[in-house]
Amino acid sequence: MNKPPTFWSSLWEHVEIARTLRSLRLYFDPQMCTGIWECYEVCPVGCWSRDLERGIAVLEKPEACIACGACVLQCPEEAIELR
Amino acid sequence: MATVFMKWLETTPRDYERGIRLLTLGRLEKLHVLLTEDFIKPGMRVLEIGCGTGALARRMAGKGANVTAVDVSPDMLAEAQRQLDARDLAGSVSFEHMDATLIGERLPVAAFDRIVASLVFSELSPDEQRHVLQNCRWLLAPDGRLLIVDEVPPAGFLQRILFWLVRAPITLLTWILTRTTTRAVRSLEVLLRESRFRPCRLGSRLGGSLVLVEGSPLPEAAPAFDLEQAAIPRLRHRISLRSLLVDLWALFLRVIPPYPKVRPGLYAVGHPDTTSPVFVSGNFDLSVRRLVRELDGKVDAWLLVADSKGINVWCAAGGGYFTADSVIAAVGSSRIESIVQHRHLILPQLCANGVDADRIRGEIGWQTAWGPVRAEDIPSYLAGGKKTDAMRWLRFPLVDRLEMVSATLGLYAIMILIPLLIFWRPLFWPVAISLFGLSYFYGVMLPWLPGRDGLVKSIPLALIALAGLFAYVTLVNPLPPLRLFHWTIGLTGLSVFVAAELQGMSPFMRGEQANWGWELLIGIALGLIYWLVPMAVGWR
Ligand code: SF4
Ligand code: SF4
Repeated sequence: MNKPPTFWSSLWEHVEIARTLRSLRLYFDPQMCTGIWECYEVCPVGCWSRDLERGIAVLEKPEACIACGACVLQCPEEAIELR
Repeated sequence: MATVFMKWLETTPRDYERGIRLLTLGRLEKLHVLLTEDFIKPGMRVLEIGCGTGALARRMAGKGANVTAVDVSPDMLAEAQRQLDARDLAGSVSFEHMDATLIGERLPVAAFDRIVASLVFSELSPDEQRHVLQNCRWLLAPDGRLLIVDEVPPAGFLQRILFWLVRAPITLLTWILTRTTTRAVRSLEVLLRESRFRPCRLGSRLGGSLVLVEGSPLPEAAPAFDLEQAAIPRLRHRISLRSLLVDLWALFLRVIPPYPKVRPGLYAVGHPDTTSPVFVSGNFDLSVRRLVRELDGKVDAWLLVADSKGINVWCAAGGGYFTADSVIAAVGSSRIESIVQHRHLILPQLCANGVDADRIRGEIGWQTAWGPVRAEDIPSYLAGGKKTDAMRWLRFPLVDRLEMVSATLGLYAIMILIPLLIFWRPLFWPVAISLFGLSYFYGVMLPWLPGRDGLVKSIPLALIALAGLFAYVTLVNPLPPLRLFHWTIGLTGLSVFVAAELQGMSPFMRGEQANWGWELLIGIALGLIYWLVPMAVGWR
């Protein structure tokens, strides 16, 4: 069992989380995508667009991503990853 | 930096234990002993709802019961498990992470001889209380009993006054020491009777304000439901003294708990009927009132307020306080399923980072859609039946930026200016004016300052501030070199602080905690320059 968190350890955890948050990059595997566009629906900064012809999502503006994780959580195919 | 303060405000499991002991003057334990000695027998299957750090669960396990103990807080459960292992009782209690409102869906029916809840019902909203009691009926085996220990308001008028006289100072002291507080459940016995339990008071302490009540299930009455009788509270857009005060608090001090909350549950906006849309929201008071302001008079809808711990949905979902479970619990504990004919929820889009819509669809069979980001778009969203890109994307317009600067500044003003006022008064006004000036300037200029990160943006901010200082010195009022030097150091430091810390206010660049290391380094460097340069140059 881990030690119970102290004031400073939980503060440090915040710094660590913030650091990880900053270093996260988005990875998209178009092969796995089935084009239900849930990612496009939930992204609050418009990173995704829809390729209507191929019926898959396109990661159009990866540089705008704020690593909120919404698309990762909602994609049913696990085609998107933040790491 | 704000995080440091908020961490202090957060209750740790240890604080909670101490706090409760202090608040109940140790009498809670007496009731726990009574409960365990007289009503728990070896081999009984016991469910404890809201076990906290597990003191009662351990006591009952010590008596030989098979205890299943659930709690919403992973921290509390970790502490409970630790203490259990330390006492060699491992294996006799199984701790499970679960919201009280979800017990009916996650635990086996008719599987418990006793269901125990200590200081839990006071934490639940009336809808949730009814829902949990209903579930307890299902979970109890034949001849099973419900045992509730909770705070209630004392019965007589005099007792009540006496109670508050003693209670108020203890409450304050306890909060300061441990940030823990409790509430009383109004009319616990009535609540039990309404949910078809026969209540029986088995013991009481603290002048009748802390009670142990047994509930034995009565045969279920035929459910009667009627929209007119249901008396769903209606939310309206009203400006009152209270709403203005809460707005003022929210403008400057919203980051400090207790966050103003709305009681979770089902509400009506306008005059909804069985086909009206159902919106889900968190229970941050400000968000709910803004939502109602945009909807009232324009649309008829049901508003299902889920428990987001009083935090706005985005932060709550990101921090794990608002999840699919919160929404599932809100649907289950409200009467929405018997009110509307459709099964369609409109979720706030900004909770998509924490609320797994797939789980909601899978577990309770409701369809979900993501509503517009901004409440003001909801009427046209409903009218057009479609969401445009503009409704889907975050904006951070000037009004919002100024609001967020104020919200962040409130806490800093307390943390920085009050110590200055006490210990270093001559610095108070210069720092106050520079801090507020720089912060609001930063808020206005944010989109045009280069860089995507607070620390980078601090460079142009500091340059502009220094340019202003030098313009003032050359054009208006020349300062002696040493004062000019001090102002330069001060403004540079504040610019870095403001830009780096206010990063957290923008929805586009969060994680200001990662800047702390750099802020500290820059602070030390500026401090060294402050001491060494005048010595080297010989200013005095
Ligand atoms: S949510 Fe996943 S499967 Fe659906 S379009 Fe986006 S990436 Fe493709
Ligand atoms: S993580 Fe958030 S911001 Fe980034 S692409 Fe996904 S939804 Fe958009």
